[in-house]
Amino acid sequence: MSSTATPRPHLPGDPAVMVARRYEDVVCGNEISRHNLLSRFSHWAVAVTFVLAMLTGMPIWTPVFGWMAYLFGGLTVCRILHPWLGVAFVVFSIERFFQWLPDMHVLPPDVDWFRQRATKQGRAGVDDSQVGKYNGGQKLYFWAVSIGSLGLLFSGLVMWLPRYFPPVVRQLMYLVHDFAFICYAVSLVVHAYLSTAAEPGTFVSMSRGTVTRAWARLHHPRWYHDVLAGQRSREVMTDEQDRRS
Amino acid sequence: MQTQALEIRRSSAAVLGSLSGQRRAEVVSKYIDTTTCIGCKACEVACQEWNDLRPVATEQTGSYQTLPTLDANYWNLIRFNERDFEGGLMWLMRKDQCMHCDEPGCLAACPAPGAIVQYANGIVDVNPDQCIGCRYCETGCPFDVPRFSRTTGKMAKCTLCVDRVSVGLEPACIKACPTGCLHFGTKEDMLELAHTRVGALKHDGFAQAAVYDPAGVHGTSVITVLAHGDHPEWYGLPKNPRVPILVKVWKKLLRPLGGIAILGAVFGVFGHYMRHGPKAAHGADDDDSNLPLA
Repeated sequence: MSSTATPRPHLPGDPAVMVARRYEDVVCGNEISRHNLLSRFSHWAVAVTFVLAMLTGMPIWTPVFGWMAYLFGGLTVCRILHPWLGVAFVVFSIERFFQWLPDMHVLPPDVDWFRQRATKQGRAGVDDSQVGKYNGGQKLYFWAVSIGSLGLLFSGLVMWLPRYFPPVVRQLMYLVHDFAFICYAVSLVVHAYLSTAAEPGTFVSMSRGTVTRAWARLHHPRWYHDVLAGQRSREVMTDEQDRRS
Repeated sequence: MQTQALEIRRSSAAVLGSLSGQRRAEVVSKYIDTTTCIGCKACEVACQEWNDLRPVATEQTGSYQTLPTLDANYWNLIRFNERDFEGGLMWLMRKDQCMHCDEPGCLAACPAPGAIVQYANGIVDVNPDQCIGCRYCETGCPFDVPRFSRTTGKMAKCTLCVDRVSVGLEPACIKACPTGCLHFGTKEDMLELAHTRVGALKHDGFAQAAVYDPAGVHGTSVITVLAHGDHPEWYGLPKNPRVPILVKVWKKLLRPLGGIAILGAVFGVFGHYMRHGPKAAHGADDDDSNLPLA
């Protein structure tokens, strides 16, 4: 199958490439489109609202991060903005959840992905040939942040409107909110590292939406294989569509 | 809020200790004798007047009590607890207000630096300039005292008339009380007075009479003489109030652990990069010969 698709030279502004970028899992010049515009928007909407909520929440969390409050005009502004940023974050999280859900079902290869990492040391010797569009770690992250955002939502609502809840529920929800945030913050650090410094070429998949063929082959071989074999395209681009665009 | 006149013993969300000076101050206290309260509400009026609080619409709940509960504009409420005894119905009066705990739960929960302070003389006060209206103190308080004002967006509660006390006057409610069931002075003097009164009550047949100065919050700067000291809940007072354990776990345990975890993650990823470096793709883009698939 090594020559299923003949790569075309990638020219800036190539109309076929411009069109391919609107789709997911399509060969696009020298590259493969991985995230369409809506998918990338979902990601960054969640990311931006989360980071803003984090920056307004951390100075309230502990005075050690009190300096962050000055980015917004003080602690009172943070207190006013934080719950609404949280609402926006949850709204975008829900949208992202349903948009990405079809690719996020945990399958046997994902379990195997974890088993290999638990038993084998280092990168050598790990067989990732069955990794599809998302690997086990990415799926775990997806489910963790989805459940975590619900925890942040419900505990945040209790903190926002305390008089509707008995004191012991309020006290518990403070712990839930902080615990969920800590998990979020730790995994955010790891997520940001893996998608930039640790794996060059990954960030582009979330900015311009494309990855190189070599990147796909290395990180997601099964997905790469399926894309080349035409088994992944939900939308088949026709010449007709190409002309209209 | 009279920070200029009084030294601060404790301050909310302080990174370091918050003592503002070296001078010691005598701890003050209110003395409330629930057995001689006649429910005249002079103290309520005096409080409203001195603190310039807006009138709050009263509510008919089938009792003489002014409001069902405290309000951001009503810091001092006489509770008319009705209770049936052998000789007939009795009012177990209680002055509901901030208890000015020696270990204040509101201050422990507060995230805004300096929004809640405890002065060297034991008075616990809200500083509206620093308060952000997050309402954590409502949860921290074991007596359910602080109230959120929708008008100001901040918390409000009894200040123990710190503005009067700091210039040598007694609180407004004490000044107004016609029966002498309210007194003000050093905590030591007030405790002495209270124990004398408890002795008299015991002599009069109230064998369970006691001073309510709960040890769970290291005592309060509002001490109350109860004829039925074995049943503070009859007066609406918690039996053993303390700063909620979950609030302590939240502030003293989870917060530092979270900070360490986040810092650990940052150091962890740097370490991983230095040890393993990037996982980069090799070979020409269109060279599929090394595709690890059958």
